[in-house]
Amino acid sequence: MACPRCQTPTLARPQEGRVAFVGNPNTGKTSLLNALAKTALEVGNWAGTTLERVSANLRHGERTLELVDLPGAYSLFPTSPEEALTQHELLHHPPEWVVNVVDAGNLERNLFLTLELAELGLPMLLVLNLMDEAEAKGVEVDPQALEEALGVPVLATVAVRGRGVEEVLHRPPCRSSYRVAYPAPIEEALERVLQGEGNRWLGLALLAGEEVEGAPEELRRRAKAERERLLGEGLDPFLLILEARHQAARVLAERATRRKALKTSLSERVDRLVLHPLLGPVFFLLSLLLVFRFTFVLSAPWVDLIGRAQEVLGGWAMALPLPFLLRSFLAEGVVAGVGTVLAFTPVLFLLYLALAFLETSGFLARSAFLTDRLMQAANLPGKAFIPMVLGFGCNVPAVYATRALSHPLDRLRVALAIPFMSCGARLPVYVLLAGVFFPREAPWVVLGLYLLGVGVGLLTAIGLGLLLKAPASEGAMELPPYRLPPLDLLLRLALLRTRSFVQGAGGIILGVVLAVWALLHLPPGGLSESLYARLSQALTPLFHPLGLTDWRLVGALIPGFVAKEVVVGTLGLSYLGQGGLEPLGLWEGVLQLYAGLKAALLGTAQGVLALLALPSFGFAPEPSPLQAALAQSLTPKAALAYMVFVLLYTPCAATLAALKEVVGGRWAGLSVAYQLLLAYGLAFLAVRVW
Amino acid sequence: MNVERRGQDYLAALRPGERARVVRPPSSRRLLALGLRPGARVEVVLAAPLGDPLEVRVGEALLLLRRKEAASVLVERE
Repeated sequence: MACPRCQTPTLARPQEGRVAFVGNPNTGKTSLLNALAKTALEVGNWAGTTLERVSANLRHGERTLELVDLPGAYSLFPTSPEEALTQHELLHHPPEWVVNVVDAGNLERNLFLTLELAELGLPMLLVLNLMDEAEAKGVEVDPQALEEALGVPVLATVAVRGRGVEEVLHRPPCRSSYRVAYPAPIEEALERVLQGEGNRWLGLALLAGEEVEGAPEELRRRAKAERERLLGEGLDPFLLILEARHQAARVLAERATRRKALKTSLSERVDRLVLHPLLGPVFFLLSLLLVFRFTFVLSAPWVDLIGRAQEVLGGWAMALPLPFLLRSFLAEGVVAGVGTVLAFTPVLFLLYLALAFLETSGFLARSAFLTDRLMQAANLPGKAFIPMVLGFGCNVPAVYATRALSHPLDRLRVALAIPFMSCGARLPVYVLLAGVFFPREAPWVVLGLYLLGVGVGLLTAIGLGLLLKAPASEGAMELPPYRLPPLDLLLRLALLRTRSFVQGAGGIILGVVLAVWALLHLPPGGLSESLYARLSQALTPLFHPLGLTDWRLVGALIPGFVAKEVVVGTLGLSYLGQGGLEPLGLWEGVLQLYAGLKAALLGTAQGVLALLALPSFGFAPEPSPLQAALAQSLTPKAALAYMVFVLLYTPCAATLAALKEVVGGRWAGLSVAYQLLLAYGLAFLAVRVW
Repeated sequence: MNVERRGQDYLAALRPGERARVVRPPSSRRLLALGLRPGARVEVVLAAPLGDPLEVRVGEALLLLRRKEAASVLVERE
């Protein structure tokens, strides 16, 4: 096939070796990239944004290609942040060529974007993906007809099964020879704007009144004049251009498809069940429950193993022939810090896995459908529900999950609400205190705390919306068909996202752990002479209004900034002198690690079997020595204030790191101040209202 | 906006199972991009448990549309 040799410059020089994957949302761009690049996949952020960037560097014969997955777009006249980013990338960092991924079963809508890409003048390869789904719908597509009409190579693939993908990087791409026929007034105006040079797409965009960053001033001026002239004649260039493109897409699609029979899609039939007015919500809640069980039942044994490995390594470090302070720094600072970071990874990995499955299988969109009405009350899209609920498991992936929301303001509002969702790590504190002070009503106290968190979170999101004058949220979105995503892609994405958490948040968490270690151990001596004790004693008067007078209680809140799990441990340390690491022999440590690994594998196997059992609330019937000690230094009123404070104040260093990544450092900092004030204020109220 | 002719109505007024064609483009560019343009075939598949939003088939795709959004699309029953 011969290519037309016209040079159509974009706003910047195309980058050698970069290949951009472009297409509508849910056409399988990421699956295709995965099928091509497998282990070379990388996950990061688009510079200056919190949108996820999936890419891969691939050896290809003599050269290295950078394959980039651009966010899904219906058009390059953007109506969403994702589309704006895709347009910006194609104009300002143009690739050497574009792989245009098209849903074979929905040609007409998909070709609209294809025509814009053709006008942009980048060399293109068209991939008709999802051929199997098209077939199931009774749609037959003829790649040859499209190839002839558009003048670009066309391939048919089923990316999730790897069918037809090996050709993608071997067919030479081509600039499209196709031209949309616009009505005469538009064509004439375009002629006068471009004056025989430049880029058709850009001229049309300016005529349509689009704001295109970096467009040459000269073009802009001419387009403005022409646009005003047309509007003066009662013609709206924007609508005329859109109409002509739609018309062209329709004709092309009709030429290339044959409908065998119209069948009701399987997705619609499944939806009638899954979205049923009565069964739907029940099914939805059960599947949420299953996601949580999956995550926590299966991750628990591995978190335990990491804890045990941390103890063993710490014990070995304590046995080193070094000064005590240095040994302790290694064991209780460095090893504990790395352990704290790693302890998040099993939970994160499994939650990311579940999330990736929900997202690519079409279930996430359905959950948005069921909860949209509820979220409308808070002026949020239905998609905001899942991140909030995930917060009950762990705030960290929940904050990252807000990336599924396309509008930055929605992301911000939900991300700042999530820390108030009581995560699993806060539960032990409630169990400890509620078990002592409210033995009868313990489950209700805990439930009340959870609900208080939800209320505060929702009010935060609503308040921020009013404060920042959030526009009315958009509901409209596509409900992709139900699909079984390729397992290797899910595992890979979950692994990459977990790794990027360790790289991004690891340093921050380690830093906080080391700072807390320094507070506890400096100057050398007992705990009661440490900086920690002095700082806690200095802070304690602040907490008198909450009925908290014991410095050991106030102090435990400080390491709580690292992770809520350590609050109970710190209380144990300062009340009973428990904790502290004993030196450990080499062989003993190896045996312990072996036993730990065995327990983890066994626990996972049992967990799989227990997945469908109902969760139980376990409250220790026997008061522990720590509980007895606490009973001496607290009143029930103060215990309640303490629990409210623990619920609402800054969740943990990892969540802060996640917030910093998703909403930026300034907002993350503000949120800390807000959480502290709110925790104090409501804990104070809890004491007064008693 | 008045309903102009008999047989025309707003998409929000359709009951599940009813089919229609879009006769006037919605003012929202997002809805246009999602395929709700003059001549497009639409069918309301079902309504969410609380009556809002709607699941609507537009051409070959399924969309989530809020009632408020569906009320801005003029259609003609088929």
